[in-house]
Amino acid sequence: MDASTESPTPAPAPRPTVAWAPLGALFGVVCAAAIWLWAPIGVSTTYPRLVGALLRPLSAGYVAGHPMLVQIGSVVSPESVLVVGLLLGGLVASRLWPRRADAEPVHRAAEGPTRRALHAFVGGFLIIFGARLAGGCTSGHILSGIIQLSLSGFVFAFGVFGAGIITARLLARRSGARPLEQERS
Amino acid sequence: MSAYLVALVAGVAMGALIYAARASEPAQIARMLRLEDLSVLKFMLTTIAVGTVLVYALSLATPVHFAIKPAYLVGVLVGGGIFGVGFALGGYCPGTCVVGAGAGRRDALFAVLGGLVGALVFTLVYRPLVVPLMRPLQLGKVTLASLLHAPGWLVAFALAVVLGAAIVGLPTVRGARRGGSPT
Repeated sequence: MDASTESPTPAPAPRPTVAWAPLGALFGVVCAAAIWLWAPIGVSTTYPRLVGALLRPLSAGYVAGHPMLVQIGSVVSPESVLVVGLLLGGLVASRLWPRRADAEPVHRAAEGPTRRALHAFVGGFLIIFGARLAGGCTSGHILSGIIQLSLSGFVFAFGVFGAGIITARLLARRSGARPLEQERS
Repeated sequence: MSAYLVALVAGVAMGALIYAARASEPAQIARMLRLEDLSVLKFMLTTIAVGTVLVYALSLATPVHFAIKPAYLVGVLVGGGIFGVGFALGGYCPGTCVVGAGAGRRDALFAVLGGLVGALVFTLVYRPLVVPLMRPLQLGKVTLASLLHAPGWLVAFALAVVLGAAIVGLPTVRGARRGGSPT
C-alpha cells in the first residue's frame, strides 16, 4: 500500500486541469457535422498525397503508375485544407492561451533537444507508416471510424493502445527516473 | 467549393480543440499511455460518444456522407501496432503534430518531417510489402451495426452508454502516487 521509504509528500502540485468534457463534446459536434456536410475527418492520407506531388516532377511515370498514389488522388483536396486548418488552429489557440510545455520531459527522464527531435522524427515516421498500412489514423480510424461504428476503427484502436501502452511503459522503465507526479510545475 | 470551406472550418476548430485539450503535447500523450492521466483519452471518448449519437440521429432525418473503411484485419492491426509504438515514442499522431507545429513546437516539425519520410518509404515498399498484408482476413466495409444486424442509431446509442460508463468510471488522474511508481 503506502509502505514506501519516501517521505510522505503532500498531494502533488496539480497540473492545470483540462476541460476534456466540453472540449470533447464540441469535437464530437465537429466530427458529426463534417460527416453530414462533407466527409469523415481524416488526416494521414495528406502525407502520401504531398509525397506524390513532390515525386511527380522527378518521375511522372512512377507516380502515374503507382496504384496507391493514383487511388488517393491529388494533394489539391479538401483534406489538405483541413490539415492547413489544423496548423492555423494550433497557431491561433496557442496565441490566445499561451502555455509553456516544451520543456516538459516526455518519457520521465529528460530527453534533451536532440533526443527529443530524434524521438519525434522516428515517431512521426512510424505513425504515418502504420496509419497508411491500416488505412487511417487517430482521426480517420479511431474518431471518425468508431463514430461511424466501423469495425476497422475498433481494431485499429486496439492495436494503437495495446502497442502504445506497452511501449510507453518500456520507455519509462528504461529511463528509470523519478515519477513525474513529484515534479512541481 | 463548399467541401473546402467545411474542411477549413473543421480543421481550425479541430486544431484549437486539440491544443486546448493538451492532445498536442507529447508529455500528456505519454502520461495517458502510462495510464497516469487519462484526460486526453476521456476527451477522445467524449468526442466519439457525442459524435456517434449525433451523426446516427442526423442520418435518420437527412442523408449523411458515411464512408466506412474496409476491415482487413491483419493490415489494420499491424498498422495500429506500428502506429502505437510511434505514438508512444514521439507523443504525436498525424494531426496533433501539425497542431503542435502551428503552436510553435520544434519537436512537432521533426514529427511532420518524419511522417513525410514515412509516407515516402511506405510508397516505395507498397507493392512488395504492404499489399500482401492487406489481403488476408479482408472483411470489407463492415460496421458494428451490420455485424449485429441492428439499426445504426441503436448501436450508436448503446456505444455512447458504454463509453459514458467508462468516462465516468475511470479515474482521470491516478491518485497521489505517494506509494512510489508501479513496477
